[in-house]
Amino acid sequence: MSHKLDPEKISKSFATLDIHDYGDVLQCMRCGLCINACPTYRTDGVETETPRGRVAMIKAVIDGKIPADEEFIEHIYDCLNCQNCQTVCPAGVKAGELVLEARHRIEENRPQPALKKFMLNYAILSQPRLAKFMIPLKLYQKLGLQALIRKYDILKLISEDLKLMEALLPPLPPRPLSEELPEEIPAKGPEKGRVGFFLGCAMNLIFADVSRASIDNISRAGYRVIIPKEVQCCGTPNIAEGERTVYREMARNTIGLFGDKRVDAIVTDCAACGSELKAYREIFSKDSSISEKAKDFSSRVRDISEFLDRAIDNSLPFGPISRKVSFHDPCHLRHSQKLTAPQRNLLKRIPGLDYRELPDEGQCCGSAGIYNITHRERSMKILGAKIDSIDKTGAETIVSSNPGCLMQLMYGTRQWGKSWDVIHISQLVNRSLNSADQKK
Amino acid sequence: MNNLIISKLQESLGKSKVLSSGTELYCYSYDATPLVSFKPDAVVKAHNEEDIQKTLEFAASEGLPVTTRGSGTGLSGGSIPVDGGIVLLTTAMNRILELDADDLSITVEPGVITTAVHNAVEALDLFYPPDPGSMKVSTIGGNVAENAGGLRGLKYGITGDYVLSLDTYFIDGSKVRYGTKCVKDVAGYNVTKFLVGTEGTIGIFSKIVLKLVPKPKTKKTFLALYDDVIDACRTVSAIISRKVIPSTLELMDNVTINCVEDYAGIGLPRDVDALLLIETDGHPAVVEEDAAVIESACRENHARTLRTAKSLQEAEELFTARRMALSALARSKPTTILEDITVPRPAIPEIMSCIKEMASKYNIRIGTFGHAGDGNMHPTCLTDERDQDEIHRVHEAYQVIFDKAISLGGTISGEHGTGYAKSKYLPAMVGPKAIEVMKKIKATFDPDHRLNPGKIFPREER
Ligand SMILES: Cc1cc2nc3c(=O)[nH]c(=O)nc-3n(C[C@H](O)[C@H](O)[C@H](O)COP(=O)(O)OP(=O)(O)OC[C@H]3O[C@@H](n4cnc5c(N)ncnc54)[C@H](O)[C@@H]3O)c2cc1C
Ligand code: SF4
Ligand code: SF4
Repeated sequence: MSHKLDPEKISKSFATLDIHDYGDVLQCMRCGLCINACPTYRTDGVETETPRGRVAMIKAVIDGKIPADEEFIEHIYDCLNCQNCQTVCPAGVKAGELVLEARHRIEENRPQPALKKFMLNYAILSQPRLAKFMIPLKLYQKLGLQALIRKYDILKLISEDLKLMEALLPPLPPRPLSEELPEEIPAKGPEKGRVGFFLGCAMNLIFADVSRASIDNISRAGYRVIIPKEVQCCGTPNIAEGERTVYREMARNTIGLFGDKRVDAIVTDCAACGSELKAYREIFSKDSSISEKAKDFSSRVRDISEFLDRAIDNSLPFGPISRKVSFHDPCHLRHSQKLTAPQRNLLKRIPGLDYRELPDEGQCCGSAGIYNITHRERSMKILGAKIDSIDKTGAETIVSSNPGCLMQLMYGTRQWGKSWDVIHISQLVNRSLNSADQKK
Repeated sequence: MNNLIISKLQESLGKSKVLSSGTELYCYSYDATPLVSFKPDAVVKAHNEEDIQKTLEFAASEGLPVTTRGSGTGLSGGSIPVDGGIVLLTTAMNRILELDADDLSITVEPGVITTAVHNAVEALDLFYPPDPGSMKVSTIGGNVAENAGGLRGLKYGITGDYVLSLDTYFIDGSKVRYGTKCVKDVAGYNVTKFLVGTEGTIGIFSKIVLKLVPKPKTKKTFLALYDDVIDACRTVSAIISRKVIPSTLELMDNVTINCVEDYAGIGLPRDVDALLLIETDGHPAVVEEDAAVIESACRENHARTLRTAKSLQEAEELFTARRMALSALARSKPTTILEDITVPRPAIPEIMSCIKEMASKYNIRIGTFGHAGDGNMHPTCLTDERDQDEIHRVHEAYQVIFDKAISLGGTISGEHGTGYAKSKYLPAMVGPKAIEVMKKIKATFDPDHRLNPGKIFPREER
């Protein structure tokens, strides 16, 4: 493979897309109603950084009006894939998804950096493998180097990127959650049904406490929780980087894995995983060997709030938490899964909780996978705007439900010197259930 | 434009304010107008008046055309640089300079978004009525240049009715302030009023003072459903002839309702032939009186059901749904071609019949919605630009509809302007003498046709 970019080859490959087609590109009538919703337009203020612009550029590449050169690729990768544009577009244009399709064609047709290939094609395939690559980080945390470095800014001298990466990571659990959990956890009380729990990589390796709380909540709601150990990554990092072969392989495995477990629902507490698992139905829509199974699988997937809001009935009371609380909607929840009500309903069911709406109609926090590392400056501007919105609410606790958002918000909270705490909705719900228990 | 010129421009303005790559230029080759695209040679992102001034001076020295652009939501190609040259972006000039709650005015830079004005003034119990469907993205500069209307135009008028003063740059780089913050001002010609609606062909607004009014005390919102769109049209003139002016009187036909419901999912009835969204506002007693008249007009004209919005939130949802109409219509087909005809209100049923007839005669799909209370209808054709034969039929159908509108004493453009897309229809509309006068005016301000060339006047007419 040559190491030079071949714009012509990429352009030609745009003649067909993967699951969308040219009609979906033409669908954009260029009304511009999406531009202010787009975080990159908010930071950059130019048309090349709008959903409308991105669809126009993709169309122009297909039509041969602009080359698929470095600059085009850059704009395509500047997108956070937050899908806010898809929420606001009245014409039903899937600008965010079209961007991902463009990335797929680009990646198929350009030389791949070795590290990226290694991560997306190899490391990601198994969680123990991923865990191994996090061990060095863990060691260094254990030795207390993290605090020292944070304090003295030593890393700044080494590399800005590394410093950010280390600042983003919260203290890691001693071992992955999957190593501690049994395959099945019985329902507390009479069993209402069986739930498959999809333990996402980041939850397993970084936010073990959160998923522990999620699983406890589900079982207290009366469901047996089945936690398949061989679960692979949902594929979000792959699809975001345009990789779809390994992605489909992992997705097939996951569909099969849960297919065998006779579960009523497949629940995840990672919004990104949830949105990806729900998307399997589309990604396999053209593949008759699995399309039906994928449809069935996706239709059972539930975000943790979506599940708990229905599953927790009056027999399981919420205990009081007197705090001012805001919910930061992960884009993968609000825009990809189109869920806004369940998380709010759940929070409002907690007695004493003073719910404050964030005044930004679901703007991204700038985390977006590894966007905060690959596009650091813009990501930090986006985060700054988020911190400003939170400030307006007077909230004492910021609740969210996606590991990337949690890390980014925790980082922002430290960086901007704010005093609110940042937690996952499962943790808050768990606290509330506990406090009701204690009252009994 | 060659690299040398670009670098000179960058030198004068600063590198970050000049965009010139092929991809960037492509992204400023279109606005919301279907099937029109011309690339500029450079784009300047102005941050202040000095940037405008420098750009104009530079363009003068190089003999380049200049086209001003706000958010690019125009529907007649106004911000598309048909002769290339420089596109001057105003969106970074987006500060609210002064909100005078005592004398009821707001002073803004041209790139301020329309809803930002709404939000700022409503916080102080004031009201800026113009609310084009694009208000969440359109700029005030663009609104003034297009004299944009909106859902509240019927009672409250359109953008031009609220413009008190304009700081305007002309193509030679000079700047003049017309108008004052005073609500009365007859010093000299009323150039302020003239500049409104000039579609970026006479000057570039750099500072705009808008008049505000007190926020109405109450309002009542109706949704009237019809089994026949013609009955809905008759209701419109019935309400007006009873000397009631609702603040909003909007129509959506069945095709539009279904597309909007597909997007918004707020429970609009899918089986009706048309609906009217009606709102009356003001003093509670007056609102009640008007509401009674509106109700009887609806019932007498066979409204199937008439219901009132139960909450402000429900009313807001209905308005938002209506604002989405155009873009929502784009859901069902790849290409959407919309028109902007306006007729005297008693003629609405007749123009509506003509639209329906043409849709069936030319075998095309048309969804119609519009500011019915203003007589302003947007028949919107849902088509596919790849189907040349159908596109041809669409144009033929529209020609008949235009002729009909004009013969009814109407106009081909109620609010989207002439721009590039409608220029060829203008002579038939206004006649040769009017074109001559307009050309003389244009030549006074811009003798070389460098400011937004190719607009308003059809090419061969120039
Ligand atoms: C979905 C949708 C709904 C719409 N609904 C309505 C509606 O209800 N009513 C209505 O009237 N229009 C409507 N429009 C049309 C359009 O939004 C308006 O014309 C709006 O005023 C354009 O604002 P803009 O900032 O996008 O201007 P642009 O499209 O960028 O520019 C429009 C024109 O204004 C000129 N211009 C821009 N800024 C300046 C300035 N500072 N000085 C001088 N000239 C300037 C440009 O040269 C151009 O000719 C709608 C459009 C869409 C896409
Ligand atoms: S993506 Fe949708 S909202 Fe954005 S310009 Fe296209 S049609 Fe309009
Ligand atoms: S997905 Fe987000 S960042 Fe990408 S174009 Fe849409 S709104 Fe912008």
